[in-house]
Amino acid sequence: MKWILFFGALIGLSVCGREKFFGDQVFRINVRNGDEISKLSQLVSSDNLKLNVWKSPSTFSRPVDVLVPSVSLQPVKSFLKSQGLEYSVTIKDLQALLDNEDEEMQHNEGQERSSNKFNYGAYHSLEAIYREMDSIAGDFPKLATRVKIGHSFEHRPMYVLKFSTTEGRRRRPAIWLNAGIHSREWISQATAIWTARKIASDYGKDPAITTILEKMDIFLLPVANPDGYVYTQTRNRLWRKTRSVNPGSRCIGVDPNRNWNASFAGQGASDNPCSEIYHGPHANSEVEVKSVVDFIQEHGNFKCFIDLHSYSQLLMYPYGYTVKKAPDADELDEVARCAAKALASLSGTTYQVGPTCTTVYPASGSSVDWAYDHGIKYAFTFELRDTGHYGFLLPANQIIPTAEETWLGLKTIMEHVRNNLY
Amino acid sequence: MLPRRQRPPASGPWGPRPAVLLLAPLLLALQGVAAAPAGAGGPEDSPGLQDAEFPSGLLQQAARAALHFFNFRAGSPSALRVLAAVLEGRATVNPKKGCQVDLVFTTDHYNPEVGEEHLGKCSARVFFRNQKPRPAINVTCTRLIEKNKRQEEDYLLYKHMKQLKTPLDVISIPDSHGHIDPSLRPIWDLAFLGSSYVMWEKTTQFLHYYMAQISSVNQWKTSDDAIDFDYTVLLHEFSTQEIIPCRIHLVWYPGKPLKVNYHCQELQTPEEASGTEEGSAVAPTELNNF
Repeated sequence: MKWILFFGALIGLSVCGREKFFGDQVFRINVRNGDEISKLSQLVSSDNLKLNVWKSPSTFSRPVDVLVPSVSLQPVKSFLKSQGLEYSVTIKDLQALLDNEDEEMQHNEGQERSSNKFNYGAYHSLEAIYREMDSIAGDFPKLATRVKIGHSFEHRPMYVLKFSTTEGRRRRPAIWLNAGIHSREWISQATAIWTARKIASDYGKDPAITTILEKMDIFLLPVANPDGYVYTQTRNRLWRKTRSVNPGSRCIGVDPNRNWNASFAGQGASDNPCSEIYHGPHANSEVEVKSVVDFIQEHGNFKCFIDLHSYSQLLMYPYGYTVKKAPDADELDEVARCAAKALASLSGTTYQVGPTCTTVYPASGSSVDWAYDHGIKYAFTFELRDTGHYGFLLPANQIIPTAEETWLGLKTIMEHVRNNLY
Repeated sequence: MLPRRQRPPASGPWGPRPAVLLLAPLLLALQGVAAAPAGAGGPEDSPGLQDAEFPSGLLQQAARAALHFFNFRAGSPSALRVLAAVLEGRATVNPKKGCQVDLVFTTDHYNPEVGEEHLGKCSARVFFRNQKPRPAINVTCTRLIEKNKRQEEDYLLYKHMKQLKTPLDVISIPDSHGHIDPSLRPIWDLAFLGSSYVMWEKTTQFLHYYMAQISSVNQWKTSDDAIDFDYTVLLHEFSTQEIIPCRIHLVWYPGKPLKVNYHCQELQTPEEASGTEEGSAVAPTELNNF
């Protein structure tokens, strides 16, 4: 569609607060000589008609395309008639055309996705998510690779998707997106896999993600707790922890987000294996946690760590293990506020922002605190939708709206990282 | 509940943010009164903040408890309310007895399908007894729904519920994917009403609850015209993250006070851990008759 080129300029100017063009028409006016050009220039330069020239009347024997607002249609037609200027209406309703295009684009996107047979608006099994990760890597071989970083307690693979525009061995500054560490928070894994496809699809099209990937690599772990996830699908929908065995106890599992080496076994965790916030026998006792720690430490150049959870609609930064203010709290707070604002801009979903300890509750041994204390400055926790109505059991029809709004928040953070590499 | 919003509020990007507790002034006025005006910023850095006696979000805690109590007392499954935002509040702390919270907050309809966006307003006095649940509550709210309309809606719900085929062929509501069949929505609302009583009684300064799922419907009777509902609900407990199964038995008739009896499973100690994996509700040995 060649009109897309014309639209590009027009729409680019008014991308925030998109203008509407109901009933506006595009006239293609034939100008055969200098006289006609000056008549047309007269018309165009009149302020009150608010005409918008898409191709300027500089040379003759070339038609001129002019966008005429609906309110000016009559006077323009009269003028053209009275001056003997030939014209045709090439676009009868610009808004209708734009709307159609939108629809088409969305339909195509839907087709694309459904031809993969992976419905992003539904919850999936672990196998299906792993297959889709492989599929994304296959669809975007120059950008995405599926990497095994370790395995779970029950020997399931832990896969991340690595997005990188460089093949060099150089370790670019990198972003870690963590999801599904608490298995019952299904919106987290679902948002992550949607985000994976989004990153891959938008590279080369969306300037923000393109420039981010030109400078940095992104690592995405959609299911940080595979055993727990399978358990929520097969036995207990509300399972949170890993599925490791606790010697001497009949209770299974450790809270993987109390198991990191950041004030391990401090306030806001439990030493009772039956507790949902059991921290485990020692830091990194959980192989799922250790796999991530080892990978990040070995890489050595991560600048950002984002952990996706649900629910409560919060965007938080360190610390969880103390009320003491983190050295970068002011900057992180500002970034978080911007991200929350961007997120809310889509559907009005409001997030509260603040340090973990006082925004939700004290929590020691958390992933984000560990990342921060290890020099990964931009460390954030998202608690996704909702605020308690459905809680963990968020209806599938909210997956895509949640993923789409969260994407805006993620991009805001990643853009800031890109602009503030250290 | 944390405030739930359907649209960005008028006064700024996040509206009148729930007044986050100012812990420092509280500590300085142990037996006095601390004011926490709307839009207050985060807590200030103070060594005393480490004290576990002063939890963050006390105002929200109080608002939630007040709403659970209000919903229970109103006894109306079609007029359930949820917290929108805390406008103002202050807490008086007596380290020996507990703490009293006076607050004003706004509410929304619980059911997200209800289109109208009216904000009800409530004022409440909540007294948390130290470490003990069942806060004493005095709460009044402006009318969110017209009395007649509410009675009408309740009666419609009641009639709908009476027509449901028994035994109800359901295992859990919602299902794993968050889906509630529209015909079963009234059951969810009624269950939430009963759970409100339980959640109020269990709330302390430090613990609050959300209803996660109805894990089983044990009995659904409509003898004597009232709805007699025996079910097991899974409550999600903050900040322990525990899932507490509670068996609840309620009797409801529109316009009449709700009767509720319940028994919640206690958290297991390391020594007597059993059946934790399923989180299933063990049938209690005693269930009071009323």
